[in-house]
Amino acid sequence: MATLELININKKFGEFTAVNDINLRVEEGEFVTLLGPSGCGKSTLLNMTAGLEDVTSGEIHINGKKVNHLGPFERDVAMVFQNYALYPHMTVEENIGFSLRLRKRPKNEIQDKVRKVAEMLELDKFMHRLPRELSGGQQQRVAIGRAVIREPSIFLFDEPFSNLDAALRLKTRGEIKELHQRLGVTSIFVTHDQEEALSLSDRIAVLRLGQLEQFGTPEDVYSKPASKYVARFIGTPQMDIFAGSFVNSDGLHFQIGEADIPLPVSFKIPDTAVDVGIRAEFVTLGSKGFDAAIRLVQPVGPFTYVTVDWQGGSVTARVNGVSHMKPKEIIKVEIDPEGLLFFDRITEKRMDLL
Amino acid sequence: MPIIQRFLTRFFIRFGLITFTLLALGPVIWAVVTSLLPLSSLTSHPIDLNPANVTVENYFLVFASSRGLVSGLINSLIIATFTSAVGLVIGSMAAYALARLNMPNSSRILMMILATQMFPGIVIVIPLFLVMSRTGLVDTHFGLIIVYLSFILPIVIWILKGFFESVPMELERAAAVDGASPFQTFRYIVLPISLPPLFATGVFAFIEAWNEFFFAIILTRIHVKTASIAIAEFSGQYQTLYGQMLASAVLASIPVVALAIIFRRFILEGFVEGAIKA
Repeated sequence: MATLELININKKFGEFTAVNDINLRVEEGEFVTLLGPSGCGKSTLLNMTAGLEDVTSGEIHINGKKVNHLGPFERDVAMVFQNYALYPHMTVEENIGFSLRLRKRPKNEIQDKVRKVAEMLELDKFMHRLPRELSGGQQQRVAIGRAVIREPSIFLFDEPFSNLDAALRLKTRGEIKELHQRLGVTSIFVTHDQEEALSLSDRIAVLRLGQLEQFGTPEDVYSKPASKYVARFIGTPQMDIFAGSFVNSDGLHFQIGEADIPLPVSFKIPDTAVDVGIRAEFVTLGSKGFDAAIRLVQPVGPFTYVTVDWQGGSVTARVNGVSHMKPKEIIKVEIDPEGLLFFDRITEKRMDLL
Repeated sequence: MPIIQRFLTRFFIRFGLITFTLLALGPVIWAVVTSLLPLSSLTSHPIDLNPANVTVENYFLVFASSRGLVSGLINSLIIATFTSAVGLVIGSMAAYALARLNMPNSSRILMMILATQMFPGIVIVIPLFLVMSRTGLVDTHFGLIIVYLSFILPIVIWILKGFFESVPMELERAAAVDGASPFQTFRYIVLPISLPPLFATGVFAFIEAWNEFFFAIILTRIHVKTASIAIAEFSGQYQTLYGQMLASAVLASIPVVALAIIFRRFILEGFVEGAIKA
């Protein structure tokens, strides 16, 4: 187990800045996800942490020791690659044991360790198969086994689920979380899937164009996003954002088009223009509020997401169970002011106003 | 209608394939036939193809002949084996370095390697002969191997560089994370999965060296006469021993054909398949 510290990390490819002045501290045993769309620099950051790529400037510390000049092996990190990168000419057993064989460990020690890891990952029946004779999920587990056997101080995962189908992805996600709970090894996980990030992480680092947008717990990035970008990136369905203004007559209101939402007395009015973000769980469809026409009804099992045309834009409500609402029906929309998130229209940063 | 169409399609495909095969095999068949006939049948007009005359005496005669086919075959074997082996060892390392290691000027080096191929042999053969005779390399195995390497190595490097670039980068990164040095990565990961292309390239290099005639005839005299020269010497000033010449040619082509058959499986095998899911 180890701590990881990234200090003022920059990475330039020619003129292009892939990673821009990132500072991040990962505590011992923590599971941290680097989250962002493709091209945000998350994989580059992971590769630099692994020692597979050099930093342009900045320092990487593992356990308080600067490791910039060390290769991946000396950093004592293990990595699971997006494509698994299993050695195609080696059996499962040889793949898992390769690092130990390189270190010239005694044969019986290697065998014992490989067996233990294979049993833990339920691979013991496939020891003598080649990677191409395994299913995607099994290949994935071999890749994890190859990392686990090293007993590294840090695990690095580079989008390890992206080649799995949806059902297997969920199952493997659970397995990784269990593995982390069991071994407690500091882990850095890269993904573009916000749901994966929310469900796995102790903390999430949201990246945007090579910069760290927010670093916080899943709860924080979901309910207290640092910016509009984080707010829209995290959460299903995507947060709806409206422009509006404050009106002070008969109590304080936030006016969006024709609709006005009452605000609590304690509310602090800012002196800049603001936009407001609304999450689906704070929107109620029924008999109170403002008229809206239903545009889209999407059942997802326990909920139905109902999108309505509202105040020149659209807003999505989360309705419990299966809804029998139909497109084009007129319904009333009520918004819970407790759930509103306010963003500075210019800087796009969230403002604590409630 | 579709049945007729299908029949016609098949007919034309087969017709094409058979024509091509006959064109390719024709000279080979003719060589075999010729090697099995006595000189008298071959020199009569018209050529006497009576099967009753078939004989294997040419094959015995070439071994007894003073033209040195046996020593020629041995020389060719030595030269082609060393050329392809050394070519593969040096070529694979050079190709890997050029494909993978971040070396300064690697693209310039590649272009220079390619540029060596732009001079026709006839342009360099005389200066080459002068250099080699001054250094005492004329009519030596070593000299011919070096000359062959000079034109086989660039081809080997270019072929293998293309292959190494197609090996997924992540395999090597995984090896690095597992603690392998660049050399260990090459030895334990890249080399084993590269065996099929290495065999193919090796066979190619062997055949190139085995078939070479032009440099061999100028740079050798007596001791290192290769098989291709020994064969040509059956064509003399006063008479050409067609039967013996082609019997020698048939014998000389056996190692090459055998190589192709032995390594066919390796050459065709797609080893990397299944390593990385796209």
